[in-house]
Amino acid sequence: MNAETVWLLTTLSAPLATTLILVLLHGRAVRVSGWLAGAAALFSLVSAFALLPALQRGDVPTWALDWVPAANIHLELRADWLAFPFLLTEASVTLLAVVYAWGYHHLDERSPIFYALLMLFAVGMAGTTLANSMFLFYIFWELMLVASCGLIAVWGEGSQRRAVALKYFIFTHLGSLMVLVGLLVLYDAAGSDSFSAFQAGIELAPALVTTVTVLFIIGFCVKMAIFPVHLWLPDAHAVAPMPVTIMLAAAMLGMGTYGVLRFPLSIFSMEQMAPFSVPMMVAGITSEIYGALMALAERDVKRVIAYSSVSQMGYILYGLGTLTYEGIAGATLHVVFHAIVKALLFMGVGLIIHATGRRRITELGDLRGAMPLTAFCTIVGALAIAGVPPLCIFDSEWMIFAGGFRTPQLGLAILSLFGSLLTVAYALWFIGRVFFGPRPPGLTVKRPHWAMVAPTVLLAILALIEGLVPAPVFDWVNQALAMILGGNW
Amino acid sequence: MTGNFWVVLPLICLIGGAFAVYLVARFLTGRNDLLALCTAAIFTVALSALALLRFMTSAEQLSTWGRFGPGEAFLRAEPGALMIASLAIGLGLLAALYSGHYLTLERRYETYYPLLLLLVAGLTGMVLAADLFNLYMFCELMSIAAYVLVGFRRRTQTAIEASFKYLIMGSVGTVIFLLGISFIYRERGHLALPAAAQGALGLWGRAGMACIFTGLGIKSAIVPLHTWLPDAHGRAPSSVSAMLSGVIVQSAFYTLLKVSLGLGFPARNLGTLLIVFSLLNMTLGNSMALVQTNTKRLLAYSTVAQVGYLMLTMGIGLRYGLAGAIQAGFFLVFIQALTKGLAFLGKGVSHFYFDATTINQLHGTAARLPLVAVCFTVALGGLAAVPPLAGFTGKWFIVTNGLRSSDALGFVGLAVLLLNSLLGLGYYLPLIGALFAPPPVRHARRFHISPWMAVPLIVMGALVIAVGLYPGPWLGWTAEAASYLIELGK
Repeated sequence: MNAETVWLLTTLSAPLATTLILVLLHGRAVRVSGWLAGAAALFSLVSAFALLPALQRGDVPTWALDWVPAANIHLELRADWLAFPFLLTEASVTLLAVVYAWGYHHLDERSPIFYALLMLFAVGMAGTTLANSMFLFYIFWELMLVASCGLIAVWGEGSQRRAVALKYFIFTHLGSLMVLVGLLVLYDAAGSDSFSAFQAGIELAPALVTTVTVLFIIGFCVKMAIFPVHLWLPDAHAVAPMPVTIMLAAAMLGMGTYGVLRFPLSIFSMEQMAPFSVPMMVAGITSEIYGALMALAERDVKRVIAYSSVSQMGYILYGLGTLTYEGIAGATLHVVFHAIVKALLFMGVGLIIHATGRRRITELGDLRGAMPLTAFCTIVGALAIAGVPPLCIFDSEWMIFAGGFRTPQLGLAILSLFGSLLTVAYALWFIGRVFFGPRPPGLTVKRPHWAMVAPTVLLAILALIEGLVPAPVFDWVNQALAMILGGNW
Repeated sequence: MTGNFWVVLPLICLIGGAFAVYLVARFLTGRNDLLALCTAAIFTVALSALALLRFMTSAEQLSTWGRFGPGEAFLRAEPGALMIASLAIGLGLLAALYSGHYLTLERRYETYYPLLLLLVAGLTGMVLAADLFNLYMFCELMSIAAYVLVGFRRRTQTAIEASFKYLIMGSVGTVIFLLGISFIYRERGHLALPAAAQGALGLWGRAGMACIFTGLGIKSAIVPLHTWLPDAHGRAPSSVSAMLSGVIVQSAFYTLLKVSLGLGFPARNLGTLLIVFSLLNMTLGNSMALVQTNTKRLLAYSTVAQVGYLMLTMGIGLRYGLAGAIQAGFFLVFIQALTKGLAFLGKGVSHFYFDATTINQLHGTAARLPLVAVCFTVALGGLAAVPPLAGFTGKWFIVTNGLRSSDALGFVGLAVLLLNSLLGLGYYLPLIGALFAPPPVRHARRFHISPWMAVPLIVMGALVIAVGLYPGPWLGWTAEAASYLIELGK
């Protein structure tokens, strides 16, 4: 076992071990639970980074185990270039969300379980990106759901939390089942449960290719919350406690994109995927416009940002649907940049809710003087999501639109470009109402906790840096695409 | 009387033990915990006897006991039967320990423990039986013990009603079964199982098969013959419900397969029949469970659905000759014993401490009895097939093997199975939610769970997780059982 394999395993096992420790210590670890989780998340992030040199050397850290040979079940982890950007995003978001939780989450005797579930959620996401065999992939994929669902059901805000958790579980599980059927068909065709075998090429009847691709795309679209299978998202994001919302919106939505890249796109050829190009673009634009309109119509600050995720995922699906190099690269880049910006926005909104105790936009206003730092960071986030240069999302949106204009469907490309105007509209409207505008009566502002402010500021800076210097991330994404697109494009 | 004495030893232990426990209870001690220990000891001895038997039998030459003529025997140690009997005895052992505290609510220990032993003895005899007559006798022994145990809370009217309903339907079932046996005897002139190859069944034989299928269909809760089950499983003491839902129904289903195939019913047709009926079982069981408010009735309907999954995979295996699917079926039997047993035992603890019967009354279980909430959640997650728990692994095997079906019927079945597992979430998740909901009163009392109840819960909860994560060793167990059943169908 060489060093890379160790790093590969620690990426997963650090949060997993912390989960176990926290569950076992339970009531005795209340005060240290947050620190333990933070340390594990940091360690996991460092491990993920430590994989980079190996990847740049051209190695692929792999770990495999023959688990149940009789039933043809192998466990295989593999950190390739495609997994890396997603893994890094997930690990960073987890770390920041845990730090944010130090300030946001009120410690009580159940806190160890709260942090344990956060860690389990992180394990699910990291495992999903690293798994290279079907059984393991599905276990991690569902672990993500189970852990986040538990967090929403127990620590959610409002009396509807259990109903919301149920809705979230059933919606997402429906998507998972579609993915599972698709995977099982591939497994049957390949005769192996290793994704490497899938990638090596699978002979499938054309009708089966269509079925599998449709199942994969719909299944992953549920996770990405694309209209009309987005229904779980606004409720889940609005009800979940803020650290969980951050992980859901910034990291978990990206897993849907990862799935689309990993399965239909890297297994089937360009010709096989071509018929799905226009439907994906249309669904993407629909979601983009619908999400933005709903964000404009919402009055709850958290739900505004939640609907903006529906809209942003629309961009990503549109980019994937172009089936051009620029479009797919832009979509992948957008996952990373959207994670930064969405985490930033939710953190800003969390600070506002925490400081004022209010969530309705009509009851907020003129906060720029009372909380200048939060105002600055949130405005950076809102401008970033509106695609203002030089902030990071400008770069990825640029690539997505560039991809759009390389397809024959120019009408769709123009539509998507104009759809982005709506994004600008809700972003500006949001900051206008919350930070400027008239001050509503009786609005008092509490001092925010440092642990909530620090990650917010960090992300605002990151949004700017990534916008100016996207090269390293861009390079990683490029490597990922070179891997899956290969000679096809 | 010749043959391998080890085959009959578990039965002797169980039946003899039943009388011994009764005598101990009458003349030596009336203490619940001591009687529970005695019963548990008897189960342990019986389990060890079975384990020894398991090592002494080979799949090529099955041990038998009680040879009269060539090819005739009382009991035969088939791999599938051994597996189910061990599960029943194992679950009985845990149920007995559990009753060591649970039963203080009910009293009348001197009848309970012997009946529990006889229930398992009947089951063991039924699955091991090598001729129809003995099979029938043991089936009746099991059933009668079950009727009494269902009505064990004799002061509650609903329990008596449920027991009576079970008695009527069960007796009709066994009478029809007996009629079927007599038809078979008229045609064949003997009752050996499996019958030596005698060609296709004649008219009488077919009528007999139909009767046997109906009779055992009632016992294994095949829709529309399932109506007794929600009442019986919902009203019995939880330790008994765990046995009924965990192994009794499944053992009756195994017997149905064994008898049908043994009498020369074509495997392909049997498989088709099972797949078709499984669609009903899965859909009806899950739909009815969705609307239940009583926790145990909900779990009982979920048993109907679980039997449906079992029928589907066995049906696919028999119809298409896929040993893998049958193996998945046996694996599922094992998992159901664990998850269903655990769910009922968990439910029983909450009933014991704070009298929870409806789902709403379970609110606050996590605050009052954390261990129970966790174990119950593991059981429900297992039943709902949430990875990485055992139920998920079971369904995984069903689907991966079922994909080898060679025509549409198998795929229809799998599609219905997947839709049903979604339907199942609709009631398993709210139940889990109820466990973790805040208690109805502030500062609810926290109970200290008795070790008698805690130990079975922990053992089974750990097994559900372990089997889900590492199914390897358990699979080997089921491989022999599956190949035996495939052989029988040829």
